Amino acid sequence: MTTTRLTRYDRSMLRLMNDRRGQAWYATAARRRLAVAAHVTLTVAIGALMTHFFLAKGELLWPVAVMAVLLLPWMVATGVINGATRGLLELREHVLDERQSAERSRVLARAHRMTTLLLAAAAIALLITGGVEGDAPKAYAAPLLIAVLVVHWVMPLWVAGLLAQDEPADDEAMEAGQHN
Amino acid sequence: MSEQVHNRLAVVRAERKVSRQSLAEAVGAHYQTIGYIERGQYNPSLDLALRISKFFGLPVEALFSLEPFRPLTDEVYGRNQP
Repeated sequence: MTTTRLTRYDRSMLRLMNDRRGQAWYATAARRRLAVAAHVTLTVAIGALMTHFFLAKGELLWPVAVMAVLLLPWMVATGVINGATRGLLELREHVLDERQSAERSRVLARAHRMTTLLLAAAAIALLITGGVEGDAPKAYAAPLLIAVLVVHWVMPLWVAGLLAQDEPADDEAMEAGQHN
Repeated sequence: MSEQVHNRLAVVRAERKVSRQSLAEAVGAHYQTIGYIERGQYNPSLDLALRISKFFGLPVEALFSLEPFRPLTDEVYGRNQP
């Protein structure tokens, strides 16, 4: 972490990502897993609505309205995971210290492997479906492309949330004493 | 490669009454990284180890070692003495 070259944006993001006010939301591994599970569920729900939006005709309003409502808890869940990881994926590389940089590389490598496996499974499923029905289901091409893009985008966040560790608690008394 | 580097960081930090946050700011690391080092979950680079040693004014081998450290009380008073 090279504090001399931090821009105002870097400093504000660093403060935001290290804000401990929401710590109770991600203090334990169980809560972090819950946040990731909620994020996955909400992402799938929003993706399904988007698919419906693309495929259905004449029902344009309600999927958009539900998506708008779901986006709020989705953003909260994103914030919880980012808080748990102290902005591992949100902060710019030069803001991170050596351990965080190594951790980010590890998270991205693992997410890349998982996304590759998911894409391979989706491609195989699509090919098998196409083979059985005699034709590849072309109608699903656009939603599938969006699903791929979304999974590719958020997979590192899910992996980072699941790999985040508990905060060491034995320094609280000393820090409290120092601020007094 | 997961060679364990042992350290006395938690003991020295507590003795000097330095918080993780203060140490982290002084050496340009995140406060969680200091916690990870203390718990043996992260081995610092030579650069960071030297910066931490410099902060405490100690030689690097006083804080980090490839061999486990003996308890300070053993070193000062000897293990078998009452």
